[in-house]
Amino acid sequence: MPQFFSNKRLILLLVGVIFLVALISFSLRDRQNASLPEQIIKDTVGFGQSLVSKPAHYITGIFNNVDALLNTYDENKRLKSRLEEFAVLQGEVNDLKIENDKLRAIIDKKEDLKKFNPIQATVIARNPDQWEEKLILDQGTMDGIKVNMAVRTSEGLIGKIVQTTPYTSEVELLTTNNPNYRVSAVVANKKQVFGLIEGFDGKRNELILKRIDSSLKVKKGDKVMTSGLGGIFPKGILIGEVTKVTTDDYGLTKLAYVKPAANFSMLDHVIIAKRESINIDGSDGNSTNNDETNKTTTNTTGDGE
Amino acid sequence: MMARFLIPLVAVVLFFLETEFALFSPIEWNGELVYLVPRFLILYLIFLSIYYNRKRAMLYGLIFGLLYDIFYIDIIGLYSFLYPFICFIAGSTVKYIHQHLFVTTTLSLLLVALLEIILHQFFLIISFTTIPFSEFLNQRLIPTMIANSIFLIMLGWTFRYLIQARVLQKANQSIL
Repeated sequence: MPQFFSNKRLILLLVGVIFLVALISFSLRDRQNASLPEQIIKDTVGFGQSLVSKPAHYITGIFNNVDALLNTYDENKRLKSRLEEFAVLQGEVNDLKIENDKLRAIIDKKEDLKKFNPIQATVIARNPDQWEEKLILDQGTMDGIKVNMAVRTSEGLIGKIVQTTPYTSEVELLTTNNPNYRVSAVVANKKQVFGLIEGFDGKRNELILKRIDSSLKVKKGDKVMTSGLGGIFPKGILIGEVTKVTTDDYGLTKLAYVKPAANFSMLDHVIIAKRESINIDGSDGNSTNNDETNKTTTNTTGDGE
Repeated sequence: MMARFLIPLVAVVLFFLETEFALFSPIEWNGELVYLVPRFLILYLIFLSIYYNRKRAMLYGLIFGLLYDIFYIDIIGLYSFLYPFICFIAGSTVKYIHQHLFVTTTLSLLLVALLEIILHQFFLIISFTTIPFSEFLNQRLIPTMIANSIFLIMLGWTFRYLIQARVLQKANQSIL
């Protein structure tokens, strides 16, 4: 066995390891806010990444188009059968919209939890090691993105913004393991049933809707939307569909499994929903204990909605 | 002249390509989600460390590890330690193994498996994940190894060709 480490090297290695452990613990403590050098590096890498991602998206787009072309016949048949249904629905929706506007005008209510300003963004990267479910978008604070905004695709909610730099922003997906990640949701039944999306079941690949009042009825196939009551997300973004209802561990409330409406792989274009009515600092962590009257440095930890 | 700039350029391209390929994952396979983690860059660095220069490979590992940490993970010091560490092990084996392409490929894949296992243990410790080892093995490690081995079988010889071109060039320069 040859001498693997000389004394000098061993000391260097030990110092290095200590330094790294210190760095890791330092950066683990405050992951929500990027320091200035971090921001600069993130923006630079993000710029390079967006250059690479454009041709990549173009190529995957071609493959998707070919795929879509092959399915055209079946899809067309299916869609035709639903077209008439849709026309009736469209009329009904228009009617309701007009009526809603009129009624709002009568009671002079301008604020609407549903309203939001959409900001289009392109996904430039996904955390390649996938231990955390994260996306990186090509829009940042310069485009008006703030922490805690809802992120959706045309299909449904996918996550929320957790960190921003001037030209990029980071999205934590709904499928995260983070136990502090909550979204207040409503089951669109005849009667509205409120609950919280808390956690993701990796085995079933479904979200878990917790804290549903056990006296209210939720059944398989019900649609789940954001309720807007968390104070951050706009109301009425589709989350998914109930697939199974059980009682929770303590038997006090109901628990439902929700199959997400959005497809979490192959995300490319997303919409960031900036809600128009007042946002509240919706973090339940340290910041709720802060003194809000004397403006101290409140940092949004971004936990929960 | 080309090989000199090509070596870092390939590393940069692989760094960016990793995340583009990550967008395809997770894939549904037999009703289960499997995660494919692209590890192109570290495979390339392992090759660099075996065929070219251990120190240079470790330096690249440190730089790209740091970028990786800041851009994706937000935990500085994780990849910037692991990448050079893996390169160090790879470079140290040169004396003991035969540098046949097949042997290097197998070794690189083993080292990537080691990297994945260390990462899993680390994230388990800081409770970013709760999945036990058996699930990790089926959901992540095996599919990741299969995907990366396909990548390496396709491109491993190109890496070696490129690196050897650079080594040859350097040798010529020293003669002149």
